[in-house]
Amino acid sequence: MENEMQLLNISEYNFEQCLKCSICTVYCPVSGVNPLYPGPKQAGPDGERYRLKDPKFFNEQLKMCLNCKRCEVACPSGVNVGDIIQKARMKYASHKPKLRDQMLANTDLVGSMATIVAPVANFFTSLGVSKEILHSVMKIDKHRTFPAYASQKFETWFKRNAQSKQDKYAKHVSFFHGCYVNYNFPQLGKDLVKIMNACGYGVHLLENEKCCGTALIANGLYDQARSQGESNMSSMRSAISKGRTIVTTSSTCTFTMRDEYHHLLDVDNHDVRDHITLATRFLWQLIDEGKLKLAFRPDFKMRVAYHTACHMERMGWVVYSTQLLRMIPGLELTMLESMCCGISGTYGFKAENYETSQKIGAPLFAAIDALKPDCVSTDCETCKWQIEMSTSVKVLNPISIIADALDVEKTIELNKNH
Amino acid sequence: MKFDTVIMGGGLSGLTCGIALAKAGQRVALVSAGQSSLHFASGSFDLMGYDAQGAPVSNPPEAIKALPEQHPYKKVGDIAALAEQAQQLLLEAGIGTTGTATANHNRLTPLGAFKPTWLTTEGYVTIDGDKLPWTKVALMNIIGYLDFPTKFIADGLRNAGADVEIKPITLPELNEARKSPTEMRATNIAKVLGNQEVVTRLAAEINAKAGDAQVVLLPAVLGIKDDKLAQLLKQQITKPLHFVATIPPSVPGTRMQALLRKRFEALGGMFLNGDKVVAGTIAGDKLHNVTTEKLEGTKLVADNFVMATGSFMSRGLVSDYKKVYEPILGVDVDYIAERPQWTQNDVFDAQPYMEFGVRTDNQLRVAKDGTTLANVYAVGQILSGNNKLKLCNGEGLDMLTALAVANTIKK
Ligand SMILES: Cc1cc2nc3c(=O)[nH]c(=O)nc-3n(C[C@H](O)[C@H](O)[C@H](O)COP(=O)(O)OP(=O)(O)OC[C@H]3O[C@@H](n4cnc5c(N)ncnc54)[C@H](O)[C@@H]3O)c2cc1C
Ligand code: SF4
Ligand code: SF4
Repeated sequence: MENEMQLLNISEYNFEQCLKCSICTVYCPVSGVNPLYPGPKQAGPDGERYRLKDPKFFNEQLKMCLNCKRCEVACPSGVNVGDIIQKARMKYASHKPKLRDQMLANTDLVGSMATIVAPVANFFTSLGVSKEILHSVMKIDKHRTFPAYASQKFETWFKRNAQSKQDKYAKHVSFFHGCYVNYNFPQLGKDLVKIMNACGYGVHLLENEKCCGTALIANGLYDQARSQGESNMSSMRSAISKGRTIVTTSSTCTFTMRDEYHHLLDVDNHDVRDHITLATRFLWQLIDEGKLKLAFRPDFKMRVAYHTACHMERMGWVVYSTQLLRMIPGLELTMLESMCCGISGTYGFKAENYETSQKIGAPLFAAIDALKPDCVSTDCETCKWQIEMSTSVKVLNPISIIADALDVEKTIELNKNH
Repeated sequence: MKFDTVIMGGGLSGLTCGIALAKAGQRVALVSAGQSSLHFASGSFDLMGYDAQGAPVSNPPEAIKALPEQHPYKKVGDIAALAEQAQQLLLEAGIGTTGTATANHNRLTPLGAFKPTWLTTEGYVTIDGDKLPWTKVALMNIIGYLDFPTKFIADGLRNAGADVEIKPITLPELNEARKSPTEMRATNIAKVLGNQEVVTRLAAEINAKAGDAQVVLLPAVLGIKDDKLAQLLKQQITKPLHFVATIPPSVPGTRMQALLRKRFEALGGMFLNGDKVVAGTIAGDKLHNVTTEKLEGTKLVADNFVMATGSFMSRGLVSDYKKVYEPILGVDVDYIAERPQWTQNDVFDAQPYMEFGVRTDNQLRVAKDGTTLANVYAVGQILSGNNKLKLCNGEGLDMLTALAVANTIKK
């Protein structure tokens, strides 16, 4: 008592703050559908007590954790349950990543090979035959529709059609587009450029963008994740030195670079973190400060249901995307109950996880099918794959909806004097 | 970001206040750091179960008159009217209850005791007085489920005059779930039993085991989202079925949390989940804005603010070796300076620290350094001057103070 020991006793990830209340278990998407997973409390703070004594208490089943962080959001005591679990995997797992895991994890490598031969790749992945082979040889589940590869990468489009026009703007941002925009859905990147340009901002690529590494972390390729993280930080530092904010359109890439780099990979991002932001947040903050105005088409009408992606929930930034969407006069917004869709990046692509993945998402799919909105909006690209595969509704990033609803001429006019 | 009212804390008191204000047309933001103690809820709402001397209360509004003037219940006005408003608010959120403020009934606790309460979620075991209306009870015990002490519950029911048989039940799905014994919790069982087909087989299993009992009692392991599956089960069971509260995490509590949040959002409220209010800017006698951990630079500006951050477990109050304090604004707190006097040696005695909390004026406004903050209110367990364990009044205090503050703000 004299030396007030307890006040000094704060451990990494707030491990010692656990009250054993089990609330994290209520919100873990995996523990409710797969009893082979020990659950957040047991895999996290409870198991950690044993692992600290003897690493032999490490349980390989921890790889079933989605790293969705819903346990952390739910914990009333501030325990970073998900971090404890991921860190334990990094420290103790003996299981080595398989070829399949390496392929799924290398979203940029596989993406760039596939873009060259996109039509062929799309053709094969849509054929039952090759899915059987993927399923039996690679253990990539045959029920999955693979995200289609675009025939032209976003970067290629940007360099050919947009880059030269960007310097004429008075203000500038850098865009971390991520693998999804680059290889699978360049339209989202084009939508962002359209909005930013209308608002008077030039958009620039980073000097050397690498995949954020979230899939590498999930698949146990930590060294590669770390070195890509270091490389991204250095590209971003150079953009920041030119006074540019780094905007993104993916909640998971954003979360990984802002929080996981530091918490899990020991990548020093302290000087970069605050400069990385979601495009919706960037826009909303400018509007809030009176530095930006958006004008929308009067004829725009859409019934939108917003799905809260796990890492968006963890970042606590849902409010920016939804408040921005609410500014569109013809848009009717419904909040879907926040829950995991089950895909968790590459997790749901693995044959051994397919069933768990679909079971996790089932209540969300049922809610969407019952609501029948014109579209679902979410800030995460893998949720888009999962929801589009599992429901009849299309999914759009808030940025794409805003780009569609935007009255470009009027917006340019409104922001001329800012 | 500008709102009419910003509420800190997303438990029963914060959500009640938020729903009442949003329904009145206010733009409300609610910030909630982690999940609330609703997850420990029994399925009943206590208004006042015992008086200061420990005697059971039958008419709470009458008994409240005898509480000391500084008790928060003395600051809310007409208890019976607010209690009715609270029951209506629950109903509109999809939480049907039975009971009335002026006549307590008894609920069955997870440890088999009967305690006086105000409202009970429809479908849960209640009795008027101390005798059960049944003589023969079948108590269903899910094999492998540990958070349900059947022996204590059976003893409690026997003391109330019933003949009880404990019947072990299971399903292939429940056997499968047992592979993770630590996760065999009420809420996970509710997820395993979460579809119509499984519920139909559960009904068959219960019907087969119920024997000649007049009534079937089942631990509260059904209906984590709404009460549709519980209704379905009731239809398919040949005898009357009632639920018994379990040890946390609680299924009815989790459901209430979800339904109240849904109602708040449907009324246009902005629920900032998993974020934490960390500081505020006070100008003169008013709070101008608060900042949160996750929104970083974005300030939440509002005309009025409500603190609903709970007591020690939820960190609305924090203690260290020297003091008890309110961590967001450092508003004035009532507590005993001498630390040895915070507790009594016997754990079952009324613990003095239970009454620690923020000091408020007669409109439930907080003060900082002796000056009342004109637009900052406190509701629920963060308030000083109440021992909810001793008086058995947790939910009533949460909801009635929240509604009283909402009524003040609306004016
Ligand atoms: C809802 C719930 C259900 C549980 N169920 C079970 C169960 O079924 N089986 C089981 O084995 N375990 C269970 N546990 C866990 C068990 O209760 C705890 O592990 C055990 O009580 C921990 O004992 P402790 O003395 O270490 O901590 P506590 O009993 O929490 O005591 C900590 C003490 O430290 C004091 N303190 C805190 N901060 C300060 C400070 N700054 N300065 C001075 N004092 C401070 C607190 O006031 C408290 O008195 C449960 C816990 C909870 C919350
Ligand atoms: S929710 Fe937090 S405090 Fe509760 S058991 Fe899980 S980690 Fe521990
Ligand atoms: S991160 Fe997600 S999957 Fe992993 S333990 Fe937490 S809630 Fe469960």
